[in-house]
Amino acid sequence: MANSTNFRELQSANKGKTYFLLASMGLLTWLVAYAALTYFGAGTTSFIVPIAVGIALVGVWGSYYGSDKLVITMTGAKVITREDAPELFNLIEEVVIASGLPMPKVAIVEDTAPNAFATGRDPEHALIAFTTRILEVMDRDELQGVIAHEMSHVANRDTLVSAVAATTAGAIAILSDFMMRMMWFSGGRDRRDRNSNPIMLVVSLAVMILAPIAAVLLKSAISRKRESLADATAVSYTRNPAGLRKALEVLASDTTVVRQKSNAVAHIWIESPLDGKSVSKLFSTHPPIEERIATLKAMESLGPTN
Amino acid sequence: MEIILILGAIALLVLFVVAQYNRLVRLNITVDEAFAQIEVQLKRRADLIPNLVETVKGYAAHEQSTFDAVVTARAKSTSASTVGEVAAADGALTNALRGLLAVAEAYPDLKASTNFLSLQEELSTTENKVSFARQFYNDNVRSLNQAVATIPTSFFAGLAKVSARAFYEVENPADRNVPNVKF
Repeated sequence: MANSTNFRELQSANKGKTYFLLASMGLLTWLVAYAALTYFGAGTTSFIVPIAVGIALVGVWGSYYGSDKLVITMTGAKVITREDAPELFNLIEEVVIASGLPMPKVAIVEDTAPNAFATGRDPEHALIAFTTRILEVMDRDELQGVIAHEMSHVANRDTLVSAVAATTAGAIAILSDFMMRMMWFSGGRDRRDRNSNPIMLVVSLAVMILAPIAAVLLKSAISRKRESLADATAVSYTRNPAGLRKALEVLASDTTVVRQKSNAVAHIWIESPLDGKSVSKLFSTHPPIEERIATLKAMESLGPTN
Repeated sequence: MEIILILGAIALLVLFVVAQYNRLVRLNITVDEAFAQIEVQLKRRADLIPNLVETVKGYAAHEQSTFDAVVTARAKSTSASTVGEVAAADGALTNALRGLLAVAEAYPDLKASTNFLSLQEELSTTENKVSFARQFYNDNVRSLNQAVATIPTSFFAGLAKVSARAFYEVENPADRNVPNVKF
């Protein structure tokens, strides 16, 4: 990643990695289903797999479809109009023109931490939100970079990508939960047609235990790639990596975090509101902010592009 | 059996042609829209100018030559129509406005007036919008020209009546000033 600094290359590299990770997710789901089949035999598992996928689908896709309204309630954001913040609207309109996207809804979150996020099932239902603090601490160029980053999430359909990731991770979690319960409670009875090779049984068991962790790791990796992609796309809109870089530096130097109502929406903010030090890098939804700043600095050194 | 295969092949071919044709037409329409967006923003900027000139005049009445330059450039920009003309007039007006704002720098009372501050915000956002509209237009012209010049879309450019379009290039006199090297 460090050797490609052009935003077009970065965009396609990050897209490619996302496809690879999503494919890995599919493979993992299949692997869990196969392990279940090996361990318990065809009888029980043939209806549990569709049930697990179904539960995950209903749960995640409901929130995906209503994401703009749901996130408003979960973060306490208030939708505003042009009269409330004409300068912010001017800046958003600039990025809208640069990206060719429709004008999103705009919301404000009363909070003392500088942060921002984007959501919505498609560009026509997009919502971008800013905390009151970010509007106070950032200058025009920095805020423009932040807006471009959020509009990039809209353009790259990241609500959809994370919904797909969350669905598979959810299905895998439900599936292995079912399996573990079945193993403890209805042990010996259902095992007539199961595979009798002991190595296969141990491997299947290991898959069922490890799969949910692997799924969460993949989900976080996808989220990190989408953040890098949004940084690169933002530069393709503003052609000004310095603006976003300075904005990230402001975010990095600020230690206050958003007083969230729920951890479930942690991944949507531009800077992760979770404490970075306590979680391993593998589980975090955002790439380290220093790494993002370094990538943008490398783009600046290329000079003006068009 | 053979009939089905032949019909299938024809259907695929038709779908392919339709897809290429539609892609070209879509790109062409996007370029039109992008150019319309530039004109909308240029119009907005032209509408801001009389107000701005009046405000500055209130504090700096004797800077007549600067005002004249802005007014002439504005008049030219409203009569331009082709991409080249619009771009040239746009560049000239941008420079004239820079001159006007440079004049304003010398008058602290003017710089502090709320009317001027709000006009300045309007003007700078409009300048940004003009340049982003330009960038969006040029990006789309780039995709269109690439499609017109590369296989397979190039085969259907004539059929779709789509041809390469002109880039929007602003002449910036400052960039033209190549240093004179004397020996």
